[in-house]
Amino acid sequence: MTARGWIFLGLAFLAGLALFGFEASRQVDIALWPKLLSATPPLSLDELILAYSVLPRAGVALVAGAMLGLSGALLQQLLRNPIADPSTLGMSSGAQFAIVAATLYAPEVVDGHRTAVALGGAGIAAAIVFALGRRNAFDPVTMVVSGLLVGVTATSFSATMTLARGEYLMSLVTWNGGSLSQQDWSVFHALAIAFAIAAFLAALMIRPLLVLSLGDASARSLGVNLGSFRFAIAAISTALAGFVAAGVGLVSFVGLAAPVFVRACGARRPAAVIALSPLTGAIFLWLCDGIVQLLARSSSENFPTGAVTALAGGPLLLWLLPRVKSAEAPHEAPMSPRRLSFGRGIAALLLPVPAILALAFFVGSTGMGWKILTLAEMNDLAPLRWPRLLAAAAAGGLLSLTGAVLQRMTGNAMASPEVVGVSGGTGLGFAVALTVAPDGSAFAQFVGAALGALFSMTMVLAFASRRDLPPEKLLLAGIAVGSFSSSVLSVLLAIGDQRSWQILAWLGGSASTATPITALFLCVLSLAMLAGGLVFSRWLTILPFGHAVAQALGVPVRSSRVIMLMACGVATGAASLLVGPLSFVGLIAPHIALRAGFAPASQHLVGAFVLGAVLMAFADFGARMATFPYELPLGLFAALVGAPYLIWLMGRR
Amino acid sequence: MPTRIAAIDWGMLETLAALDVMPIAATELIQFRKDAIEPMLAADVVDLGLRGSPNFELLHLLRPDLILISPFYTRHEAALKRIAPVLSLTFYVRGEPPFEKALSAVKVLGERLALQEKAAAVLARVATQIEAYRQTLAPFADRPTYLVNVGDSRHVRVFGFDSMFGDVLARLGLGNAWVDRSRFTFAAPVPIEKLAADKDARIVIISDVPVEARSGFRSSMIWNALQPVRDGRVVMLDNISPYGGVIAGMRFARLLVKGLLALGRGQ
Repeated sequence: MTARGWIFLGLAFLAGLALFGFEASRQVDIALWPKLLSATPPLSLDELILAYSVLPRAGVALVAGAMLGLSGALLQQLLRNPIADPSTLGMSSGAQFAIVAATLYAPEVVDGHRTAVALGGAGIAAAIVFALGRRNAFDPVTMVVSGLLVGVTATSFSATMTLARGEYLMSLVTWNGGSLSQQDWSVFHALAIAFAIAAFLAALMIRPLLVLSLGDASARSLGVNLGSFRFAIAAISTALAGFVAAGVGLVSFVGLAAPVFVRACGARRPAAVIALSPLTGAIFLWLCDGIVQLLARSSSENFPTGAVTALAGGPLLLWLLPRVKSAEAPHEAPMSPRRLSFGRGIAALLLPVPAILALAFFVGSTGMGWKILTLAEMNDLAPLRWPRLLAAAAAGGLLSLTGAVLQRMTGNAMASPEVVGVSGGTGLGFAVALTVAPDGSAFAQFVGAALGALFSMTMVLAFASRRDLPPEKLLLAGIAVGSFSSSVLSVLLAIGDQRSWQILAWLGGSASTATPITALFLCVLSLAMLAGGLVFSRWLTILPFGHAVAQALGVPVRSSRVIMLMACGVATGAASLLVGPLSFVGLIAPHIALRAGFAPASQHLVGAFVLGAVLMAFADFGARMATFPYELPLGLFAALVGAPYLIWLMGRR
Repeated sequence: MPTRIAAIDWGMLETLAALDVMPIAATELIQFRKDAIEPMLAADVVDLGLRGSPNFELLHLLRPDLILISPFYTRHEAALKRIAPVLSLTFYVRGEPPFEKALSAVKVLGERLALQEKAAAVLARVATQIEAYRQTLAPFADRPTYLVNVGDSRHVRVFGFDSMFGDVLARLGLGNAWVDRSRFTFAAPVPIEKLAADKDARIVIISDVPVEARSGFRSSMIWNALQPVRDGRVVMLDNISPYGGVIAGMRFARLLVKGLLALGRGQ
């Protein structure tokens, strides 16, 4: 590392030390410290707080930071991916989901086996992300997009579960925020032991990592067993993230920031990066925690430290964008295994529609059981049912269309509306509207959410209009904006008042807020977008072949990208404003349509649109009826269809 | 006059029950019966599902003639208005003590239901009870009180002056040991060591300690070292809804009096 890097690190350390000294001396005067060592118990309360709260908190900040730094450095070296870290790869969200589920359904388990629960969740999430990434040779963009999808799913499941129990559990909120406050040394001990073991194992890995950095072929010829070696490193980094999650909760982006800083300061060799990242991570988290404590002291606002480090994540990702090298795999044009007559295909997709309509309009529940409604009852309920059915179907169509366009435009099979960053921005705007005007009207909340969507879309478009940016980087810009929004949301949730509860309700997503006007609006918008998509289908046929081909064939790459992204932003924004952020349908429907044989761009768009609409119409019925009268979020039902599909996707090569 | 009333907001549900009127339907009854306990609701009150997304269809089928909400449900107001007239009253505003609002809600709802006399009687009874409790608690007034709710083994919620509990505490003539401004009814999450600021205080824990935090909380070094804990000045109260109305406020007052008397004078 360069001298400048060391100076930076030294200054940060001194600042952390000064903040710590200030906090600690407020508790017990520094002049009295030497006496502490020789003092015989019992200690006074202030001394106890110093010994069992202030000191272990500093210790936990340092060791957790070091663990995250090490975890991030290992992942980044392993995947040759400068934006890999436990939070971007979905491990933290996986741990979060496991803890939330266990807290709600088996709280006794969490009381003693927190670590096991968190490790299990992180492990499963990591396994899914790696399995998804394997298909594309662990291409950095695919890995991060998969991580985001796993993260979004886990977060929406967590929100759903919390809501479905009608509970607003403070322990979950605290945990999600990543508070570092301590009351004894137990967390520090657990983390320190885990770190020592992981650091030792990591030291053993440095030589094989060096070999790996020469490339797969050279590594293989030097006799490194790539598979088991990759597995070992991934397991170590996942375990590190899981331990931190169990001990202090979600602390995001330290694992991303530390190795980045080390490399920016000139460290190149894997050994140097892996050795220096824990040091940097430790100092970074310690400094952040010092700032948080200073704020708490001066303003009596207790922000969890993890939520604050997360704020740094979005901007950091944006800054890193130009440095990400994507795998130089040639662009694959979307291939379809078979040909299908367009008319017959659409007819097959529309086949379940009468059944869905019958279910939607003629089945009711009394709370005691299901029943077939009479014509009069149907007439009575229809005005309540058709707007939500139409809104759900239109939103499903819009999101699937967006997914199909994005997948074709970026040539990345994992692209989906969530990654445009618009859903995150919408949530952020909604939260800001709630904050500014807690009693504001529904219209004010709608305007707030729309402004949020506009803001995040502008950010992503600013990147999209850069000529030199390869299309898949667009996804990363979207992810950066999205993760920034979600970290702001988690800060707001961590503050913990009734606002949080409204944000949670929105995150779940429901079509029940649809009115005849909004439903018709969504419907008209979705049809307009479909027509627009068909007009641009030539672009979408050519763009998947990559930049060079597209330019040679006279497609205006830059303006086509801006126009299509803008359309996608509007579509996603409108859909998530009205029915909440729906995961999965935008990812799955285009895939299924393509594999079913809707190969040409225009047919692909229409097929995905129809499929998405049908799927969501059915999901609305399910969400309404499954746990009557408690309504499930629409997004959950879409995800229930999506999860098995993703597993199936992993299974094939 | 409305007779078929549905309550979406829990504070409004309590206000209605305080007037001795049973709603035909209310939200999240499973949770309500567990967390709020009072008022006891009749078994035939229909559960309308989550507060965040009440079941409009079921509500429509029940043909209510009045729906009770608070501004937290603005998002659904338009949809609810299409089903029946809506009465929306405010209970919780940042920086404003809520008990007065809960009392005025009794009055407003009483007028709406032509139960003015009943409302006046309820308010009079509340005033007498508060006064009686205040006199009972006079010997306890020289110690400030922390009102907390255990979140996990390291954090608590602290109820300040603009929470229902904080406001009632003040009306009972006791001082709140938490002098920082609270945020919309409570400050959260507060690390346990912040409770060390006032050594003379007593600590009142409202509602059960979450199962997942029990052993960690009990063995917490700092918690056990807090002066009030060492001296046995800790009162545990049964579950009370933190976002309730007049009934939750009075339930808190009653349980607090019982708890403090059990603790003994001077504590």
